[in-house]
Amino acid sequence: MIHNAQLIKQGAEAKVYLAPFCQRQAIIKERFAKAYRHPTLDKKLTSRRVVQEARCLNRCQKALIDTPTVYMVDLENSLIYMEYIEGISVREFLVTAEGETPEAQSRVAKEIGTALGKMHNIEVVHGDLTTSNLMMRKETGGSVVLIDFGLSYVSNLIEDKAVDLYVLERAFTSTHPNTEVMFAQILEAYGESSKAAKLILKKLEDVRMRGRKRSMLG
Amino acid sequence: MESFPIDTLPSVGDIHLACFTGVRNAADLKERLQVQDKSLTFAMVESNLIMDVFQILLAATKAAQDNESGKLKTQTLSSEIVYNLSPTNNIAESLKRFGITEDTTSLIAVKIGGDPDEVLEDMSNTVDGNLISFSKLDQEKDMEKLRKFYKIDPKVTDDKAILNWIIGGIAMKNVQ
Repeated sequence: MIHNAQLIKQGAEAKVYLAPFCQRQAIIKERFAKAYRHPTLDKKLTSRRVVQEARCLNRCQKALIDTPTVYMVDLENSLIYMEYIEGISVREFLVTAEGETPEAQSRVAKEIGTALGKMHNIEVVHGDLTTSNLMMRKETGGSVVLIDFGLSYVSNLIEDKAVDLYVLERAFTSTHPNTEVMFAQILEAYGESSKAAKLILKKLEDVRMRGRKRSMLG
Repeated sequence: MESFPIDTLPSVGDIHLACFTGVRNAADLKERLQVQDKSLTFAMVESNLIMDVFQILLAATKAAQDNESGKLKTQTLSSEIVYNLSPTNNIAESLKRFGITEDTTSLIAVKIGGDPDEVLEDMSNTVDGNLISFSKLDQEKDMEKLRKFYKIDPKVTDDKAILNWIIGGIAMKNVQ
């Protein structure tokens, strides 16, 4: 780990640092060991998740979806070095004066929906879609970047993609009042870019009725 | 010559980069590489395949990391730098693609660690060409080769996106 790395975020699974790397500023995401797991199992699981996250990020990049570029994967120390995105999150944007206007919300919604549709087209499920995990790139004047693929995985199931959207919907309704219109615009743009949009949006209605977890009865 | 710290391994020393144009002894250098001449202490890279200094610093940093953990895939730290530039795991092909050829006239010499004055002297004595700094290297890049080697999507056209694609390819080499 870089000695002058600055801790900028700590979650349940990982720590996120900002540090100089090859003449740039980079994000370093460190998955740490879980003391409650058997060491061998822990090492295996952690390493697998690091690989999974890096692969999903790279897969998105190759499909021309704006995500942080992976710089280096250090499996031994469970680190992913990646591009530092300068900008603010959609969550922060929505409480700015500009972010409260319908025009801005509509533009951002469109971008989010299109990006998510493209992401699901390549069978990547994000797993943790929140407005904090959607960034707006400063250098392009606020284009949307998807970040934090720590819970992402590859799946072609309609169910998984519908739940992905449902998680985002819940994030919207619980953190941003009066954004129903914006979320509807996200789904509209998603409908245009996602190949299986019809089935996924239909499934989303089922998921809304029952919640994120599927009933395992019967 | 320019020197850059290895942020992840500061104790190893700097990454030293020197660019040479108008190189006249490429055939001789290539020959020395082939017979694994131990007196060649630095790596040499075909400079028209380097889009940005970040690309070469990344390849060198990865090589330094793997050297520390005893995980080099190739024979030497120098060849590992060249190998790391390539997104594939085929060693012979990677070295052929990113290393110098007999016809090379413009190259980047890369060395990890060592005293800068001595490194520069060694590089200048070995490569017969005009030394310029990396930032002055405004040479045409071989986009056709870059696109082929890194399998860059034709839809990706701006330089920054091309560079990001290249970086992603280098980064994912060990986790394919």
